[in-house]
Amino acid sequence: MEPIAALRDNQAMRKTVLIVDDHPSFRASARRMLEADGYDVVGELDNGDGAVAAVEKLNPEVVLLDVRLPDIDGFEVTRRLLDANGASLQIVLVSSHDFTDLDEAVGASGARGFVAKSELSAEAISLLIR
Amino acid sequence: MTAPRRTLIGVAGLAFLMGIAAFVVMINGEHNVHRGAFAGLFLATGWGFVGVGLWVWKQRPAGNIGPLMVAVGLSGLLKGLVFSNDSVVFAIASVGEVLIYAVLIQLLLSFPSGRLETRLDRLLVTIAYVNTTVVQLGVFLFTDSKAGCTRCPSNPLLIGHSEAAKVLEAAQLDISIALLGAVVAVLYRRWRSGTPGRARVFAPIVAVGGLTFLLLMAALVVEQAGLSSDISDAQTLALFASIACLPFAFLVGLLRSRFSEADAISELLAQLGEGGGRGALRDALADALGDPTLELAYWVPDQDAYVDADGQAVRVDPAPAGKVSTTIEHEGERIAAIVHSPGLAEERELVQTAGAAAGLTLRNERLDAELRAKVAELQASRSRIVQAGYEQRRRLERDLHDGAQQRLMALGIDLRMVRERIEHNPQGAAELLDESLHELNEATAELRELARGIHPAVLTNRGLHAALKGLASRSPVPVELLQTPADRLPPSVESAVYFVVAEALTNAARYSRAQTVTVGVVRDNGHVDVEVRDDGVGGADADQGSGLRGLQDRVAALDGRLELTSPQGLGTILRATIPCA
Repeated sequence: MEPIAALRDNQAMRKTVLIVDDHPSFRASARRMLEADGYDVVGELDNGDGAVAAVEKLNPEVVLLDVRLPDIDGFEVTRRLLDANGASLQIVLVSSHDFTDLDEAVGASGARGFVAKSELSAEAISLLIR
Repeated sequence: MTAPRRTLIGVAGLAFLMGIAAFVVMINGEHNVHRGAFAGLFLATGWGFVGVGLWVWKQRPAGNIGPLMVAVGLSGLLKGLVFSNDSVVFAIASVGEVLIYAVLIQLLLSFPSGRLETRLDRLLVTIAYVNTTVVQLGVFLFTDSKAGCTRCPSNPLLIGHSEAAKVLEAAQLDISIALLGAVVAVLYRRWRSGTPGRARVFAPIVAVGGLTFLLLMAALVVEQAGLSSDISDAQTLALFASIACLPFAFLVGLLRSRFSEADAISELLAQLGEGGGRGALRDALADALGDPTLELAYWVPDQDAYVDADGQAVRVDPAPAGKVSTTIEHEGERIAAIVHSPGLAEERELVQTAGAAAGLTLRNERLDAELRAKVAELQASRSRIVQAGYEQRRRLERDLHDGAQQRLMALGIDLRMVRERIEHNPQGAAELLDESLHELNEATAELRELARGIHPAVLTNRGLHAALKGLASRSPVPVELLQTPADRLPPSVESAVYFVVAEALTNAARYSRAQTVTVGVVRDNGHVDVEVRDDGVGGADADQGSGLRGLQDRVAALDGRLELTSPQGLGTILRATIPCA
């Protein structure tokens, strides 16, 4: 049995993550991957419109955000989230597109960085966030 | 001898006898002061109107102008009998004495079409007839003819000489003066607002008719004022001299109408002879008919619609607001319509004559317009095909992105996790591999469905029958495949047939609420006929939705035709006919 104090320390280190993506299979795989690597996935969302409210309610440290959402463009969602929460909120953009298709837009978005879905791993995310 | 000709001869005989009778009566009338002058004028007026009326009646047997002119002549001769010394003839003539003015008003207001076109015209004519028959009879019943005219015969219809006669007579006069003023105003407005050709036709009638009515108004005012009988008689003579000229004014007007038509047609033919580019025919017709706003619409039988010179669809029936259309035929075949101002509506014969004169040129221009319409349709179809291709690529990209691509991305994540777990957590890795296999199967199924939408491989490999059986087996509505051609068709035709059936089955499943669908494909006599028939609710509209429009373009690209029949409540039939040599 692990000591209670050690468990508390471990929990304190776990980053909280909100996944915003409209594809259930991707969300399920991403959640499995993040949780296996010690992240705490506090919520999932399949649209951009509810992202600001979800962040306000769940208070995640990191948002894993798909660039292409059915209602609002992921870059616009990034702008709204940063306007509402400031730079303390760490946003990692993901897409099935290559980075070369999006590099300028990603650079101007204020997000912490971008990971192509085909290369998504917990290690790639950890390199982008504080 | 035809019936109308017998009628004309009968009317001529009647007018001759009435004329002789009126002349004899007036010459011998003891209460007729100006016997010779009146007799001559009445005879000239009566016979003049009847003569010209009979000529017009013969020329235009379907029109009313001829009979109306005859009626004016006969009622004028009836008026002459008022000078009879016989009390019965005197009474009959006195009651009908002023009928001539009502008939004359009807004639003037209905010239040249013979019809009273406006409500105002009909109202004025109704008032005129009531005033000259009912009111006139009322006046006569209470007027002692001997009271102001000792030589006049007695009134056999006299109820009693009373003030009622004066009241009625005064009302009749007032109504007459107002009525005549209104008629003169209407005629003047009609003359001013018509086309130049129409104004030329109207000019003599408006001039003499207007003068006649002004003289009549003056006579009525004099009568109302009770001035001397010398003035009244002089005015009556002048009035009848004017009325006597009226039939000849009509004759001049009608001849001008014919000459004006002839001039217009000559001018048109001359302009057509000079040739000219596109639009020259419209300009020539506009000049000839005096309507610069005139437009031509060419009939395209294939499209069952009218198009303009550029091949663009135009509305003809009903004509646009403020316009009237006249259909033009050439050798019994509808070739065009002239859309013109309402001012020309009463000269429809002229419009049709001009159209007939330009028939050959119109026919050539129609072919030109038909060709342009086909080019326009081809351009529109090509544009739709390009657009459909673009939309199909976008849909394909979206389907790939949202479907198989996402599953493969998730699969990639899971496989990376399997790699990490396989050594220290083989059980967890196996579970993840199961998940991955499931994702892989789903991705494969989605890719297969997508590929079938682009081009069904079974169609290429195993032919139309197998491909249609596949469609039927996947349809949620039971499908009976009646027949398919035994031999293979050209790939483009097979593909078009496949997508026609696929779209029809999709629509049947989505909208028709059908119990069964039958599909038949027959190759016959150089073409393939496809028929998909359901027993659903019907009411499908080919113009709604892009699916059928896309099919139409796909079939049209092979020179085929697509036809949708979908009466409300009676099911839907989609037929395609595609040439297949």
